[in-house]
Amino acid sequence: MARMKFICDAERCIECNGCVTACKNENEVPWGVNRRRVVTINDGIIGAEKSISVACMHCADAPCMAVCPVDCFYRTDEGVVLHNKDTCIGCAYCSYACPFGAPQFPSSGTFGLRGKMDKCTFCSGGPEKNGSVAEFEKYGRNRLAEGKLPLCAELCSTKALIGGDGDVIADVFRTRVVKRMAAGKNAGADVFGWATAYGKPSAPAPAAKPAGGKS
Amino acid sequence: MKLALVGSLVVASLLVGCNESGMSASNRPDVAPYMGADNGYMAKGWKPGDQASWNAEITKRNQSQSEYSRIK
Repeated sequence: MARMKFICDAERCIECNGCVTACKNENEVPWGVNRRRVVTINDGIIGAEKSISVACMHCADAPCMAVCPVDCFYRTDEGVVLHNKDTCIGCAYCSYACPFGAPQFPSSGTFGLRGKMDKCTFCSGGPEKNGSVAEFEKYGRNRLAEGKLPLCAELCSTKALIGGDGDVIADVFRTRVVKRMAAGKNAGADVFGWATAYGKPSAPAPAAKPAGGKS
Repeated sequence: MKLALVGSLVVASLLVGCNESGMSASNRPDVAPYMGADNGYMAKGWKPGDQASWNAEITKRNQSQSEYSRIK
């Protein structure tokens, strides 16, 4: 079973904001809400300035799910973290818990100034019927159910943002790093947010002690 | 009496505007994406309901993000 993840290759992102625009348009995201945004790190430092496209990373152990007082979040079999807007009370605990600033709140809605939470759905809609109008109006397109990947990743002009099955996209990224290193270029092997979202690789198990004898 | 009746009708018609769309308490009545979407935007090359074909289509799209596998 695929475990859906995002990787942003900082060596390739050119800060065009195509992913942001694609997401806004495809999902008809409300005014004032950006499910995806491009951030700049090391701004102004020559040679160290990078741009990264950030959205919900669909964490393996999602802190938003842990803190939600009404338990409106759920994880699909594909590893996508989704939420039910009918259950959400707009308390914003999730936005404080999220290390990526993914949860967003529209400026108008059921609860006046702060509406129900909105975030990246990995283009896989919500609890409503797949591809239905009700699902689209609340959560946007369900591209996964159409056999497609999130538009932000599929549209990325430099393929800096890659999304899909974690194992496959990790291989895609690894191939790039190896090719860059072989060409004597900057490898750019650091993947922003990957360890935060999906955990560091587990330490190897300690070697078993030889059987027999007292110590 | 008539005035009270008209007044209550006006109040009732104003309160209709406070309605919300239907809500459900269940978080996960959703179905798996490989069951397909009932709209006109389905990608060709896979069969809704067939998990293996959905996986194959998604893997193909995953690989299309790598120019090293796309352009040989």
